[in-house]
Order: sequence, then C-alpha cells, then structure tokens
Amino acid sequence: MTDPYQVLGVNRNASEEEIKKAYRKLSRRYHPDANINNPNKAEAEAKFKQVQEAYEQIIRERESGSSYSGGYSGGGYAGSGGGGYGGYGGFGGFGGYGQDQGAGSGQSQDYQDEDDLKYRAVANYINAGSYDEALNVLKSISRRNAHWYYLSAIANARMGNNITAKEMAETAVKMEPDNIQYRQLLAQLSTGGQWYMDTGRSYGMPNLNFDNICWSIILLNVAANCCCPGSCCYAGSFLH
Amino acid sequence: MFGYITVNRSELKVRELNRYQSWYCGLCCALRDTGGLEGRLTLTYDMTFLAILLSSLYDRPLTRKKILCAVHPLSRHDTIRTVFSAYAADMNILLSYYDMLDDWRDDRNFTRLMQARALRRRVRDISKLYSRQSRAVRDYIAGLTECEREDDGNVERAAALTGKMLGEIFVMQEDEWSSELRTMGFFLGKFIYLADAYEDLEKDEKIKAYNPLKNISGRGNFDDSCRDMLTMQMSECCRAFERLPVVRDAGILRNILYSGVWTGFAKTYRYRKNIVP
Repeated sequence: MTDPYQVLGVNRNASEEEIKKAYRKLSRRYHPDANINNPNKAEAEAKFKQVQEAYEQIIRERESGSSYSGGYSGGGYAGSGGGGYGGYGGFGGFGGYGQDQGAGSGQSQDYQDEDDLKYRAVANYINAGSYDEALNVLKSISRRNAHWYYLSAIANARMGNNITAKEMAETAVKMEPDNIQYRQLLAQLSTGGQWYMDTGRSYGMPNLNFDNICWSIILLNVAANCCCPGSCCYAGSFLH
Repeated sequence: MFGYITVNRSELKVRELNRYQSWYCGLCCALRDTGGLEGRLTLTYDMTFLAILLSSLYDRPLTRKKILCAVHPLSRHDTIRTVFSAYAADMNILLSYYDMLDDWRDDRNFTRLMQARALRRRVRDISKLYSRQSRAVRDYIAGLTECEREDDGNVERAAALTGKMLGEIFVMQEDEWSSELRTMGFFLGKFIYLADAYEDLEKDEKIKAYNPLKNISGRGNFDDSCRDMLTMQMSECCRAFERLPVVRDAGILRNILYSGVWTGFAKTYRYRKNIVP
C-alpha cells in the first residue's frame, strides 16, 4: 500500500499548509484539464487520482487523530456518505449497538417489547444514514430514558442539528452521570468551539467575553452544587 | 440575509484588502455581463466570498483587468475574475430574486417586486442552467414559509433549512469536494440565519414576526448562549474549510470565516449588554 505522504512528496510531520501546497502543485501537473493534449493522458489521470486519494487519506487520518470525531455527516444528501471524506467518522463505539444482542451497550433497562423494537429501528436507521427516520421513530417513543436522549443526540448531530444534539447529550448525562459513553458523546459535541476561538483570535475575531470570566465561574459553581444547571432547561423548548 | 459573509477590514493587510476589492469588482463585472444593470445592482460581498473560495479550491487561472467603471469613473479599478465569478454572479442573482419576492410577500414592498420582475428572465435562464440550486432555493422558501406558519419553537429548524439551501449553492458541480462544500455552506447558512434572528429579535418581537429565538430570549445568559450557538456553527464550517486544499487567498477567506462574519452579531451583542465597544 502506497504511503500517502510519499505520493505527495512531503514528510510525515509536514504542516497542513505544506500538505495543501504539495497537493496543489501535483494537482496542477496531473489534473485532467491540464493534460488534454498530453499523449500520456491516462497516466496523468491515474496519477491525479492517486494524489487526490493521498490527500484525502492524510486529512482523514489527522482528523481522527484529534479528539473530535464530530457529528455532521454531510448527510441526508444523496450519495454524500461516500463522497470523498465528506463528513465525519462515526462516534466511537456507537456502531456496536445494532449488532449487539438484546441489551448490549450498557443498557440495563428492560424495555417493553414494542419500545425495544423501536430502539433497534432507530439504531438501524442511524447506521444506515437515515437520520430523519431515526428521529421520527424516536418521536413515537413516549418513555424517554437516558438512552433515548443519547440516540436523539447522535441522530441530531448527524443531521447537523448540533444545538439540539448538545442539549440531548447534556440531558442524557444528567440522567445517567456515570455513563462513560454519554459523557464521551457530550465531550465530542462540545470540543469544537475552543479550537475555533483559538484560531479566530489570530484573525481578529471580536472579543465577546468581557464579562464572561465572572459568569463562567458562577456557572461552574452552579453546575457543581445544583442538580439542574441552567443550560439543560433549554431542552424543553427544543423538543418538537 | 446578505451582509454577513464579509471581511473584518481592520485585520486585513492592505494588499489583501485591495485584492478582496478586486474580486468584488470582478464579480460586479460578471453580474453586468450576465444580468445587465439590474444584475449589477444585486452585487454582494457574500457571493464574492463564494467566488474566491471556489476559484482557490479549483485553482482556476485568474483574469486580471484594469477597468473604467461607470459607478467609479474617476480611476481605473483592478478586477479579478474566474469562471467561478460567473457562477457566483448567477447565484447572486438567484438569491437576490427570491429575496426580493420575499420582501414583496412580507411587506408589500412594491419596489422590490419591480426589481424582481426586471430579473425574471435572467433567473429563468439561471434556473435552467443550475436546476439543482434553483430547486434548493424554491424548496427553502417553501420550507421557511411553513416553519413560520407553524411558529415552530425549535431554534434550529429554520436555520437548518437555510443551511441546506446554502450548501447547494456552494456546490457548483458534483465532485470530490461537494461533501465538504455542502458542509461549509450548511453551517454558514445556519450561522447567518441565527445571527440574523439575534439581530432582528427586538424588531421581530415588536412587529410579531417569526423569530425562533424569542422563546429563549428571556433567559439570563441569552446573549452568551447565542454566541455559543453561533460559535458551534462556525467551528463546523471552518473544520470543513480547513480540510479543503485552499492555498491562494486563504488569508482573506480565513479573515472572513474566523472574524468578519461576527461583525454584525458583535455590534448587537455589545449593544444589548451595554458594553462600550
């Protein structure tokens, strides 16, 4: 298997900028449009595909190396699931739900048969990329435990409803604070902002945190002492 | 909803600002070529962003010209154009057209109806050429109307509709970058809708217009929550952007994505929190 770094002609610890420049250089050389009159047109095209795949592979590897493996899957759109590296890899460990027998993935509740079937359907829909269907089935389940909120968080995240997804995850964690899977999901849904703001500072993002220092300390205290942190109250207005 | 995708001028180098202006002038020329005088009147910085983004992503050669412009007759202006300037111009006209119709529907603004009429023929041609994008805009208007009619309290529904539409606009043709471009457009669209809703909240409450933020506006940390919600959208958008091999003009694009888009929101935020800028 070819080393993508070798294909692009960069070393393993090249910066993102260097990788992009390397891609650009090779893409200009081998792009089909640049080789219309080239007798070795077919080879150029094959090489171009190789360069493209190498770039996508490196980006994908570097992304999954970070703690963020996010939500939105570019999804709901036909064929986008396979489009390049569009969207994100799955949430760690989620894929196992559909394959587990019975009460896998840490679930200890006994479901009524009907609900159990519905939860399986939700998991199948999520795995198949039909998030709208998953949410529809979830809507029909009236007994909403932590697991319901967990699945709702995932389906919403994949659809790009990150605000709702985060609220759902927060509720799941609130209901079962010891569940590591739920905490991991919430962490994943919460990491994006810091990276963005850190990068933003160097581009002159307006500072909107004048009185935030005091406020976040207050919130931390509230969260530590009170079983009902302010932000979870939003969940009610977001459920439809 | 235009006006958010723009630069933070104070943070751009002079060289970059001049280049940005050249792209803007180039888009104006493309609009004139495709839509005549009426087309030119729809010029936005928002679609200038799209022209730069796609031109850099696909690495198209630039056409640079110094032109004498009817609007600025005193000096020659640099213009930069690519084939994507033409695409951005078409999308500009498409979006402006429906924007005008919307204003007519909402406020019976007759001027806007007239402006829309003037663009109608060009919009028909654009819709034939870019049927997927055109359908996306029409579906968006329909979906938004339904959302408003139901007075949906879900904060994200209308935003997601905007995102879905903008995602389609960002994709000129289906290829290896479509997925990332759709993701960028989706979260940028959500950002724009929510930022607009935040800025219009006071006005919408007065005139009883639909605004999904009104249900949570009474909360203590409402402004900060909005800031956080908006940050979540831009961070997803920028993640997608950083996955693209954009090198040329990346400085301008990053200025917009990390800083410029916040200009409107920041002003309202500071005003609402009585913060001296």
